[in-house]
Amino acid sequence: MSVDQIVVGIAGAVCIAGAVTAVAHRDPRTAGVALAGVLLGLAVLYAGLAAPAVAAAVIVVALFSTLPFVVHLTVATSRATSRVHASDRPRVTGVALVLGATLLALLAVAIALGEVPVNVSVRSADGYDLAALGDLLAGRAAVAAGGSLVVLLAALITARAARHDRRSLR
Amino acid sequence: MTTAAYLALGAVLFAVGAVGAVIRTSATGRLVGVELMVAAATLTFAASGVGFRELDGQMAALVAIVVAAAQAIVGYALVSRVRRPE
Repeated sequence: MSVDQIVVGIAGAVCIAGAVTAVAHRDPRTAGVALAGVLLGLAVLYAGLAAPAVAAAVIVVALFSTLPFVVHLTVATSRATSRVHASDRPRVTGVALVLGATLLALLAVAIALGEVPVNVSVRSADGYDLAALGDLLAGRAAVAAGGSLVVLLAALITARAARHDRRSLR
Repeated sequence: MTTAAYLALGAVLFAVGAVGAVIRTSATGRLVGVELMVAAATLTFAASGVGFRELDGQMAALVAIVVAAAQAIVGYALVSRVRRPE
């Protein structure tokens, strides 16, 4: 067993353990920390997949999106009790579950038919071509990349507006 | 190490996230479950891209990560707004 396999095995175990902890724990702070652990484990896995750009993006998301929420919850829950009530949306959750199961079944069928190569070594033979990824993002995938950035900008503006609105209510 | 291990791990993470999104009743719990499902889909994208020897999988993973970050920011802002006293 090589060092790569050991590292990927540990990162995979951390991901599964963190996911189970995040789902099973009722304390949102523990769930947030476990989710951040899952994201950092995924970053290691992406590095093992020879995808350092994706790994860096995951680390940025974990550091600037998930961990601040955990810190925020740690401060908030010490000053106020939770007023979150159970949302009663079984239909939406059911539809999401059916869609996810359908996509998973399609992937399983594609793998069974041999459409998705699963026995390919992840070790890159010719290094990481960051310039090609940049060309792809700026060329054929420019619409998708631009659209996702617009969505992210809108989310930041919305979050800031919600925060400003909360301050104005005080 | 082959892509099969990554695809299997993505399936396990997606299943755990789906179960969490269904069984948890709090907004934070469901948000964490959805985050796990998106992370699993992203891992599947990247592993499939490596399997096909194409960069499209990594490109799709990057787009999914950015959208997941936007979803997390809005979701956490809403949850924090509900939790905080006015």
